[in-house]
Amino acid sequence: MSLDSAREAFLAEVAELLQSMEDALLALEDDPKDPESLNEVFRAMHTIKGTGGVFGYDSIVDFTHTVETLMDQVRSGQVPLTRPLIAALFECRDHTARLVEAIVEASTPEAPLDPELARAGDALLAQLSPSGKAARATAPSTAAPSAADPKYLPVVSDLWMITLKFKHDTFRDGMDPLSFLRYLGSLGDLVHVTTLLDPEATREDGFDPESCYLHFGIGFRGEVDKPTLAGVFEFADQDCEIRILEPDTAQSKYLELLAAVPDDQVGWIGDLLLRIGALTQGELDRALETQAAESGEASDGEEAERKRRIGEILIEQGSIKPAVVEQAARTQEAVRTRRQEEAHFIRVDAQRLGHLIDLIGELVTSSAAIRVLVKRAGVEDMNEVIDGVEYLVSEIRDNALQLRMVPIGESLSRFKRVVRDASRELSKEIELVITGGETELDKTVVEKMIDPLTHLIRNAIDHGIETPEVRRSHGKPSQGTVRINAYHDSGHIVVEIADDGAGLDAERIRAKAEAVGLVKSDDVLTREETLRLIFAAGLSTKEQATNLSGRGVGMDVVRRNIEALRGTVELDSHLGEGTLVTIVLPLTLAIIDGFLVSAGPDQYVIPLAQVAECVEMGAASGIKRHGEHYINLRGEVLPFIRLTELFENADPRRRAGRRESLVVVRFGHHKMGLVVDALLGELQTVIKPLGKVFERLRGVAGATILGTGDIALILDVAELAAIAEGQRDSAGKRPVVT
Amino acid sequence: MGEMVLSNRTSAAAHSEVDDEVTQYLTFAVSDERLAMSIDAVKEIIETPAVTRVPMTPDYIRGVINLRGSVVPVIDLGARLGRGPVVLTKRSCIVLVEVHVGDEAHVLGMLVDEVKNILEIAREDIKPPPEFGSEIRTDFIEAMGRVDEVFVIILSVDHVLSMQELAALRRLSQEAALGGADGES
Repeated sequence: MSLDSAREAFLAEVAELLQSMEDALLALEDDPKDPESLNEVFRAMHTIKGTGGVFGYDSIVDFTHTVETLMDQVRSGQVPLTRPLIAALFECRDHTARLVEAIVEASTPEAPLDPELARAGDALLAQLSPSGKAARATAPSTAAPSAADPKYLPVVSDLWMITLKFKHDTFRDGMDPLSFLRYLGSLGDLVHVTTLLDPEATREDGFDPESCYLHFGIGFRGEVDKPTLAGVFEFADQDCEIRILEPDTAQSKYLELLAAVPDDQVGWIGDLLLRIGALTQGELDRALETQAAESGEASDGEEAERKRRIGEILIEQGSIKPAVVEQAARTQEAVRTRRQEEAHFIRVDAQRLGHLIDLIGELVTSSAAIRVLVKRAGVEDMNEVIDGVEYLVSEIRDNALQLRMVPIGESLSRFKRVVRDASRELSKEIELVITGGETELDKTVVEKMIDPLTHLIRNAIDHGIETPEVRRSHGKPSQGTVRINAYHDSGHIVVEIADDGAGLDAERIRAKAEAVGLVKSDDVLTREETLRLIFAAGLSTKEQATNLSGRGVGMDVVRRNIEALRGTVELDSHLGEGTLVTIVLPLTLAIIDGFLVSAGPDQYVIPLAQVAECVEMGAASGIKRHGEHYINLRGEVLPFIRLTELFENADPRRRAGRRESLVVVRFGHHKMGLVVDALLGELQTVIKPLGKVFERLRGVAGATILGTGDIALILDVAELAAIAEGQRDSAGKRPVVT
Repeated sequence: MGEMVLSNRTSAAAHSEVDDEVTQYLTFAVSDERLAMSIDAVKEIIETPAVTRVPMTPDYIRGVINLRGSVVPVIDLGARLGRGPVVLTKRSCIVLVEVHVGDEAHVLGMLVDEVKNILEIAREDIKPPPEFGSEIRTDFIEAMGRVDEVFVIILSVDHVLSMQELAALRRLSQEAALGGADGES
């Protein structure tokens, strides 16, 4: 860990805290008294202040301190939480984000703050005070513990005893022990500081100049409460044993010590008490003897239940006060739950995961290559082994991809804020309803779909939902609703964005499209086709969009973004009733199950999730030709494409009339047949990008390397259908959408 | 498979006409014509492996190859220079070139009839391209190099392999059709 990564960790922490603060504020809008949410806001500001202080970011400390102080008053009921105050807190949250960004980007913490940012901050702080006066406190020495809060023990003596035992890796982790002392100094007076050396440092062979051997004993005077002091060292708690003692009675000292025992040293309750000096070895031994004697009388099987707790015996023995034992038990319990939680989740760098998935991609290709070689060499005995390896590889692949799957809801919740802010700006009443937030998909896909989604939701708010007056005059409830719904469907994720707003006016879209020359006046388009025109580039400027009763702002960009993810976007709308946009995306961008076919001399992969069925084309198959572009499959009329015709790569050596196969594919709500020369079976397909040269190529989604080392192109079925239709169209036939 | 790896000389000095009197060029043949290009951009020269055709692309895009696990596009230099597609023989080679677009580096293959040799051409033997009379698009010609009293065309890699122009995939009638009446699919 370098200083840079420490900063990065700080940034990540701030982002997380601000997100939870935002969520809490949104919750407070509904229930301003919710204590959980109040605490959340307080905690976010408090923690950012503490960590900011460690880095010496004074402007962050000043700003967040004032907000924190206010939140403390709100928490204790001294200040009522009004709607304007919540609004101001939202802005404080945003301001904190800007502050942190500006300051962390600046080269040194001492760099002066952009005066504009500072002014904005002061203006915000002024809003926080209910009387309108600047509430800005000269942080943080006035952070007196709130008398109304009984959680904090009152300060009796004026000297705090702080013991810091920095661990050997402190410097290596990018921490500077002095910065903590310096920050502590800004909160009050360091009355005396004793610097002690770790005994390790004096070992002749053991001294390592890069290790930290410093321990500090500090006597500190300041008008601060315990959490504030703890906050100073919050960022160091990985690298330092910290004890903060109020020089009160011995008992409170023990309680504090107990709370400060590092997790890995929490074991048996007796050891724990011994460690902190609340118990002598003799007392403990005596209690253990008592316990052993008692349990000796019970039968072995029930020993655990019968055995009296050592704490009880100690109290009975008069060695210790009950409160201390209780605290010790609590410490024990807290560590146990924390350990359990830690065992559930591990944070992993996304890049490492990406690298792992790349490697597994290579592994998939290599195992396919082995299969090809073994087949060629005709080594029968190896087949079973290879089956086993292939099974394992596909399991590893699925598991690795699963690691990168995240529930979509985490990313969708940000839209609550978007909807809230935008509806305020536009004086509309809009509710956002999110369902299916637990649906999982690849994190890389989530990141890339956020922009188009934002666009669609903004469109729904800006142009879809009408003002309350208009809505009432149309007999609708004055509050409009935007719904986001996500679910899985055959290897894809479907995200629907629906609003109950004004809907699209197909006639006006048509008129506009004719005006800009997208369609001719004698073209016959279905309603669906007309609506889809708004995804065309020509209808995308803002001004035109407003002419069109709203929609269309950058809809072509939305479509392109979605298609770049190998997804599709469809739209349905009824005038006056609302609009439904459906986005279908693949779950991952890395490895898919594919179906290999050949056409002409080349091989192609069709995503298996899109393959509905495969049929041999022959007299007995029940397939009838139905005109030039359609076939009749068991009574169902399907359009079809002969790949060798579309790709102009028919193999001249192939005998005419040889049996072909039909692959029925589905995309969106459509179905289509692809006529190929041969079906070659399923395979795990590692998607390789085709590169920039082919970024505008349609109909091909990427490439994959087969076990033979040959390349097969991955087909994009929906785009192929569009291309084939375009060709038919230009050949003078009326377009038909299936 | 008989690869010839060239040291990738990227130092600016090697290219600078002020500091260096002599620059190295790779020469190769396309349709019986000897052409040259600065060796700085060349990464590697390989024998032609199986090239997978990419459908619905103009003929200057020969296809893609598997280069140690990466998919690399191959440009047919004969078609690109308007001399007709390269006919594969034992001597045909792919010259792998690194092309930069912004901060990104892209590797492209260039299919040629035959790779000749590496020449050093002195600065005074480099002449500006002729303004007319060449069969090759003038912007593809960076300069003319005199070698043994014969002039060799030095290609401009930036123009011949202009990513923007290649990616336009012009000739694609479908592209035009879709660009217009977009929407149905």
